[in-house]
Amino acid sequence: MQNTDCAYICEQFTEYQENSLPSEIRAKVDAHLASCSSCREIFQSLSGVLETLHNLPSVKATTDFTSTLLSRIDTLNQETTWQRIYHSSYSKVAGYAIAAGLIVAIGINILIDPISSMKPGLKSNFAVEQTNQIQSDESLAEITDSSASHAADSLTLQNATINSQNQSVQLVSGKK
Amino acid sequence: MSEKPILTDEQLIAAFQAGDEHAFVELVDRYKDRLVNFVYRFLHDMTDAEDMVQETFLKVYKNKHAYREIAKFSTWIYTIAGNLARSELRKRKRRKTYTMSDLSFDDNEFTPVDPGKGTEAIVFNSYAGEEIMKAIYALPEPFQTIIILRDIQELSYEHISTILDIPMGTVKSRVNRARLKLQETLSYLKE
Repeated sequence: MQNTDCAYICEQFTEYQENSLPSEIRAKVDAHLASCSSCREIFQSLSGVLETLHNLPSVKATTDFTSTLLSRIDTLNQETTWQRIYHSSYSKVAGYAIAAGLIVAIGINILIDPISSMKPGLKSNFAVEQTNQIQSDESLAEITDSSASHAADSLTLQNATINSQNQSVQLVSGKK
Repeated sequence: MSEKPILTDEQLIAAFQAGDEHAFVELVDRYKDRLVNFVYRFLHDMTDAEDMVQETFLKVYKNKHAYREIAKFSTWIYTIAGNLARSELRKRKRRKTYTMSDLSFDDNEFTPVDPGKGTEAIVFNSYAGEEIMKAIYALPEPFQTIIILRDIQELSYEHISTILDIPMGTVKSRVNRARLKLQETLSYLKE
């Protein structure tokens, strides 16, 4: 197990390798590595790791990388354009369809039930007119009825007159 | 005939934000290899690494106005790629807990597409690239990230500090601990 000194020395390895340690700390690390085989082994191993890391073969993008990317971007742009067109035309068509549907629905409703499909104001005016008409018809009927009763009355009067005339004739003939 | 001036990454992204698509292609050409190499170290799979880098560029394309010139462009794109790679890695690790038996060196999983520079250097010391790659993959995520950024991508401490949003002192101490952890893992595997 590493002692505190070893742990401290190991913490300095990166800057030690990069030559960025202050000179007094660098001297301390040098002295420690000279005397501690465990830290020396770690340092050597670490140096080997770093050397390999820095010399790892680099991988590169395949030759068709850019053309593939640009065709993906083209597709993306086309989709965006088509989506824009689709959305704008879709909203227009949807608007027209709703308007047409409403017109047809109202038309059918009017044909089926012209009164109830009227606007409330118009409907009440029409209802008032209808009521007035009915009332005037009823008045006419009443007038006709009263005329008829007047006629009946006059007939009764006429009958009464005839009766009284008959009674007068009977009285005259009785006197005779 | 005068040569075309070389624009900085920040000038290119500004041009792209202004609508110049050629500037975007230039950025792709500048960063595709670096990012594939970067993401590959996390995922250990070339096809997945390319997919992640494609996603990274698509994000840049779609969210170009999200970039503000308060950070370097490289910081921004490394942050996006790193986040995607780590997120994918977490998904994978949830699906399958990595065990030490997975670290056997019998299979040939590590097959780089392009050996590039330093192929011969892999064998010049006691650790092979394949062993290192598997040991990196097995590291806890924070150590893995810091090793990839510092020792493979060779980014500055300052740059890493911005990408990971941690103080420079923390970056340095984490680099040291990650290297020791890597060395320890490799020693364990060699036994």
